[in-house]
Amino acid sequence: MPPAILTEKLTKAYGSRLGIEALDLEVAPGEVFGFIGPNGAGKTTTIRLLLDLLHPTSGRARVLGLDAHRESVAVRRNIGYLPGEFGLDVRMTGRQLIHHFGRLRGLDGLGAAPWLAARLDLDLDLPMGRLSRGNRQKIGLVQALFHRPPLLILDEPTTGLDPLVQDTFLQIVREARDEGRTIFLSSHVLSEVERVCDRVAIVRSGRLAALETTQTLLEKRRKRVTLEFSEPVDASLFARLPGVSDVCSRGTTVSLRLHDGIDAVVKAAAQHSLLDLSIEHPTLDEVFLGYYEERQPWQV
Amino acid sequence: MAGLTGVWILVAHQLRSRVRSTVIWGVALGALGALYVALFPSMSGLLERYMEEAPQEMQQYMGGLQGPITIEQWLGMEFINALIPVALPFLVMVIGARAIAGREERKTLDLLLSNPLPRWQVVVAGLGTMAVSLAGVLVITGVLTYIAAPVAGVALSPGRLTAALAAIWPLCLFFGSVALLVSALIRRGALAIAIPGVILVAMYVIDSLAQISKTIEPLRVVSLFYHLGQPLEGDFPWTATLLILAGVCIVTGTAMAVFARRDIYT
Repeated sequence: MPPAILTEKLTKAYGSRLGIEALDLEVAPGEVFGFIGPNGAGKTTTIRLLLDLLHPTSGRARVLGLDAHRESVAVRRNIGYLPGEFGLDVRMTGRQLIHHFGRLRGLDGLGAAPWLAARLDLDLDLPMGRLSRGNRQKIGLVQALFHRPPLLILDEPTTGLDPLVQDTFLQIVREARDEGRTIFLSSHVLSEVERVCDRVAIVRSGRLAALETTQTLLEKRRKRVTLEFSEPVDASLFARLPGVSDVCSRGTTVSLRLHDGIDAVVKAAAQHSLLDLSIEHPTLDEVFLGYYEERQPWQV
Repeated sequence: MAGLTGVWILVAHQLRSRVRSTVIWGVALGALGALYVALFPSMSGLLERYMEEAPQEMQQYMGGLQGPITIEQWLGMEFINALIPVALPFLVMVIGARAIAGREERKTLDLLLSNPLPRWQVVVAGLGTMAVSLAGVLVITGVLTYIAAPVAGVALSPGRLTAALAAIWPLCLFFGSVALLVSALIRRGALAIAIPGVILVAMYVIDSLAQISKTIEPLRVVSLFYHLGQPLEGDFPWTATLLILAGVCIVTGTAMAVFARRDIYT
């Protein structure tokens, strides 16, 4: 089975500025793939190249084994796409939009739209001009999912959704994965990526900064260790230890960041009278920010 | 065949959303046509006397009318060859501008093109929507204008009225196709209306001035209004119609080619 998405040296230039540069990406069939990065990093450019809305400056992209440019109609037949920003015809209802898109896809009915609308608590019969920001986003999700495509490409899918609906959406994503479908999810909301994605690519200034399983990324996170002693201790003792950074001392408390094993820290602490030891595991946000910290970039 | 199905689905969808504007345009122009027909009995004598006393340039500008003025001459001079071909192209220019650039500005093009549609179908569907909307407006205009004739006690040939309105159809469609081309080239809906609008007005001014100025007369050939002829008087411009339709095909083909090659932005 070919990769769901494969890009080779994919590059897009906007004049002298590079949107993405030599991007190599492989998304396996049946996985939920997170594509994360701050605004302007190149996430949307990559997605628009996959959809053939933009044409690459160089390199190529294949989607479901098909050339994203030359065979774009066949590619789009098998894709459900939610753009990061989209407009809706304010006079139409959601039902009319889905029916229209269904006809363009050769479907007679509304497919899974009524079921999705019920789960997302969306009224398909209201004119879309009367819908709130969140409900318009739900329309976007329904139109991406209603024809049950083998590949879903979702650009910032939870924007505008309330937390309950975000939970429902993430559940729908998991169910789609369980059905063997592939989900390519671009986001800067890292908590949702952490909750649902099997692998994560981090893009920085148009280039791939990291491509790991979510678990591996989380294991790379730097723990914050706080040590409380019975009396003040010399903090420089800890600063010299391997894998330790950001050591600070306040009274009888020493805190530090650690991205190697804790054994050396515990042994050093044991030379004094230790009252308490606590370890905090940062979220994926902090891992992500680590890639953007110029003073300590992670090896890619 | 599958391509034509896609085009038809798009055209049908766009026409449904354009029914109201088509009816409004048709009724508005038809009401004006009916007004001109109703005015004819009282205006014909006045106009005849005016033409006898008017300066030579003005007589030329009015088409060199002589003797009793007929309803066909009156309608051609005031309505069919003057008002409709200047006003109606703006209806299709709006459709052409909205087909691509308008959708891009409203951010609805991404969703549409996420469906399995080749881009050329969006262009052809835009042209199809223009052609059918235009035909709808002209039919309503023709019917209302013709209905007014017996009420006003005027004998108006339905065949000639139909031919005259049919001759306007490709002319309007040409300006619509230019709007479609600009719309396919750049993501500015206002420019897609303004550029063909300026061409339309320039052609109208050239054709009008050329009738009274020997200096400008050689330029008249570039104006589509010149080639419109006098179809209401039995002079249907077959050659011009076919050439204009060929121009529509070329401009639309160019629009398809440029739209297929360009990037679409949000």
